[in-house]
Parts: sequence; structure tokens; C-alpha cells
Amino acid sequence: MTAPLAFEELRLGGRVTPFTLAVPEHHTVAVLGDEDSGVGTLGGYALGLERPAGGRAAVFGVVIADLPELERLAFRRRVGYLPAGEGLLQNLSLRDNVALPLRFGSDAAPHEIDGRVSVMLTAVRVAAAAQRRPAQANEEERRRAAIARATAFDPALVIMEQPFDGLTTRAAAELLEFVRGGETADGARRTILITGQELPAVIHRRIERTYRLTRAGALELEPA
Amino acid sequence: MIDPISRLGRSAARRLSRLGALARFGFHALRAAPALTPAGRRVALRVGLTQVRFTALNAVGLVVLLSSILSFLVISQAVREFGRLGVTDLIGTLMVIAIVRELGPLITALTIAGRSGTAIAAELATNQVLGEVRALVAMGIDPKQYLVLPRFVGAVVSMFALLVVFDIVAIGAGFAAAKFNGMSGDRYVQIVLQSLTARDIWLTVAKALATGLIVGIVPSYFGLSVRGAPTEIPVATSRATVTSIVGIFLSCALLR
Repeated sequence: MTAPLAFEELRLGGRVTPFTLAVPEHHTVAVLGDEDSGVGTLGGYALGLERPAGGRAAVFGVVIADLPELERLAFRRRVGYLPAGEGLLQNLSLRDNVALPLRFGSDAAPHEIDGRVSVMLTAVRVAAAAQRRPAQANEEERRRAAIARATAFDPALVIMEQPFDGLTTRAAAELLEFVRGGETADGARRTILITGQELPAVIHRRIERTYRLTRAGALELEPA
Repeated sequence: MIDPISRLGRSAARRLSRLGALARFGFHALRAAPALTPAGRRVALRVGLTQVRFTALNAVGLVVLLSSILSFLVISQAVREFGRLGVTDLIGTLMVIAIVRELGPLITALTIAGRSGTAIAAELATNQVLGEVRALVAMGIDPKQYLVLPRFVGAVVSMFALLVVFDIVAIGAGFAAAKFNGMSGDRYVQIVLQSLTARDIWLTVAKALATGLIVGIVPSYFGLSVRGAPTEIPVATSRATVTSIVGIFLSCALLR
């Protein structure tokens, strides 16, 4: 069975050894490494935002970067993405940020979208700050809203870049649970890839696999 | 001898290449319109209306001020000077050709470029630097549809709306100036209407469209051409403003 997310022979950063990794369905996998290791580019390669110098990144068996423009945009809605720095639009409230992908990319009626957004904001516990703009909200509120936005289409796969940096352990654990979307017999309902430099210990314990890109270029599985 | 010529050639090639990129950018923005889904159209319409409110509605006072002062001063002087020479009939030509047809589109477009064009360029450049444009693409939202097209259409609509305001206020202020300087109001209206031809109207419309396209697309192009450093934002804003001004003057000069 095709892994929801697979990197094959990817040229990453200045590494000589090609990067190969498959994220199995219902698994939460973290790839950690230094800033110059290239881990920060994995999300962009997977979503076809950038093209790697070599190798391929496939999402549900499809290389998004190879799709025609309109199909590429539509396909990306199947993947939740939390970029480093959140990427929330500064001129919209947190609520409107969460609603934007639904308003733009779904045919749901406005009242249905409003209802769904309210539920999501409550679920990530940011409803009280929903009318604030990103600059008026604190880091945790922004991250909560960005995660709600990333999961707006209820995607089966979520890619998160440095999702827990600057958060308390409790907030990080809460948000991971939210993104996992509940449990199935095989693991979490969603497949998740986390990239970053470090993970809080509490998160490390809750995910299936943590890999570390070493300076030498090897991908090592960290002990559970 | 060769060096200065080659430098000149390189500079010309760079400018032509930028002009080509600008035209391509505008074409792609327009081509993105039919691909909008009904839901996307609703969102783009909302953004476009916000743009019209900022670009047109909030600028009405400024345009009224500029138009009334310009027209009042020009017609006051003209009534006195043309009266001395016995050619008051030329006031109509002056109002229609100089103010309505030539200065109207020029001043209105410069107002939009200076007021809204700079804001659009700075806003989109900031969107780019903060990674918001990348996040939009990752969410499956085409920045051309969400960011560029509504601003583009908003700027063109605003240009037409403000030009109508400019012309109405200019004719009204000219009327006041004529009366203030002893000319009969009926006579003023008669000579202005006599001077107005169909050519004046379509040339004014063509200039509004051409300058509207420029103030709609140039700031977005320069705003989104920023790659990542915050220091690029003022540079992009300045380039957008200068290019818009040059484009506005050139298009007004070419449409005669």
C-alpha cells in the first residue's frame, strides 16, 4: 500500500546521501535536524512549493509539483500544512484566517462554514481570541489558530514545521492530540509529519517514530 | 566606446524584460479570473469591494479638493485673460480638452498610484516577506486570484469612479469660477457643452482604462516580486510608485 507521504532519493541541503523516508498511514513521524540540514524544506517539497535538486516527494502517490496549476492547487487542499512562522494573514482576524480556506475552496454555505469554524476554534481553545488579528494575539493563540486552519478541510495528512517551538508542554500536547484527530486501531486518524530542530520530551513520547538527520548526512532513528 | 553602448544596451534589455514580465503578470492575473470557483468568486468580490472602498470611496475628498482647486484657478484665470482678448469661447475647449480629457485622468491616476498603489505594493510585499503568500499557495489558494485580481479590478473600477467625480467637480468648480469672475452661468454651460465631442469622451474613457490597468497591476507586480528580506519592502514600494507614474504619463501622452 502506498504511504501517504514518501520522499525518495531527495537531495536535501548540502547532504551527499540522498534522503529517503516513507511516512506510514496513521503514523506520526518527526524528522529533526539542524537548521542547515534541510529538514525545513521537506514540507515545501511535499506540497510542490519548491522543487528538489534531485529525487521526488510524493503525497498519496502523486508528485504535486508535476500537476497542472489548477490541479496542483486543488490537490494541496487534501494536505494540512502548518508552515514555520504560521503564515497567518495579518489583515484578517484569527477567525477569518481559519475560515479563509473553507470560504475559498469549498462550496459549503456561509452559515455552514461559520458553524464549522466556531467548532474548530473551540476545539483548539482559541475561541476567546478569535476576533483578534495575529499581531494582537500571543504566540500560542496564533499557533492554535494556524493549526485549526491547517486542518480546516479535515485532511488525512498533515505536515507541520516547528509546530511546538515556543509553546508550553501542555499546549504542545493538546495541539498534537487535536491534529491527530482521534485514534483508530492502527494509530492516529491522521498521518502526520513534523519537522524541526527539537521536540519537547512529552511529544517525543507520544509519536511513533523520530528521526534525526546527522551532520554526516545519515538519517538515524531515535530510540523511543 | 563599446563599453557605454553595451551598458546602455544591457539597461534597455533589462527594462524591456521587466516590461515583458509585467505584461505576463497582468495577463496571468486576468487569466486566473475564469478559473475562480463560485466560492472563490465570493471571497474575491469581498476583497475587491474592500479595495474599492479604500481606493475610491476614501479618496473622494482628496479628488474633490484637487479637482475643485485646479478647475477654479484655471477657469478664473482663463475668464479674465480670454475676456481681455475676446476669446471667451475657448474656455469650453480649455475645460473639455485640458481639464476633463487630459488632466482629469492624469491627476486621478496619480492620486490612486500615490495613495493606493503604494499601499498595495507595501501590503503584498509584507505578505510575501511574512510567508503569507506561500501559506496561501499551500492551502490551495492562488495568490493571483485572492491577492492580485481583486486589487486589479478594484483599482480599475476606482479609477473610473474617481474620474467621474473629478470631471463633475471640475465642471462645477469651473462654473463657480466663471460666475465669480462675471461670466454668465448659462454661457459657461453652453460653451462647455459645445466643446464636448464624442472623441473627448472615448479618449477620456480610454485613458481611464489604460491608467487604471497600470495602477492596478504595477504595485501588485512589484509587491509580489519581493523574495524574503524586509529591507526589500521600501524598495519594491518605491519602484512600484515610480514605474506607475512613468506608465501613467506615457499612456496619457500616447492616447491623444
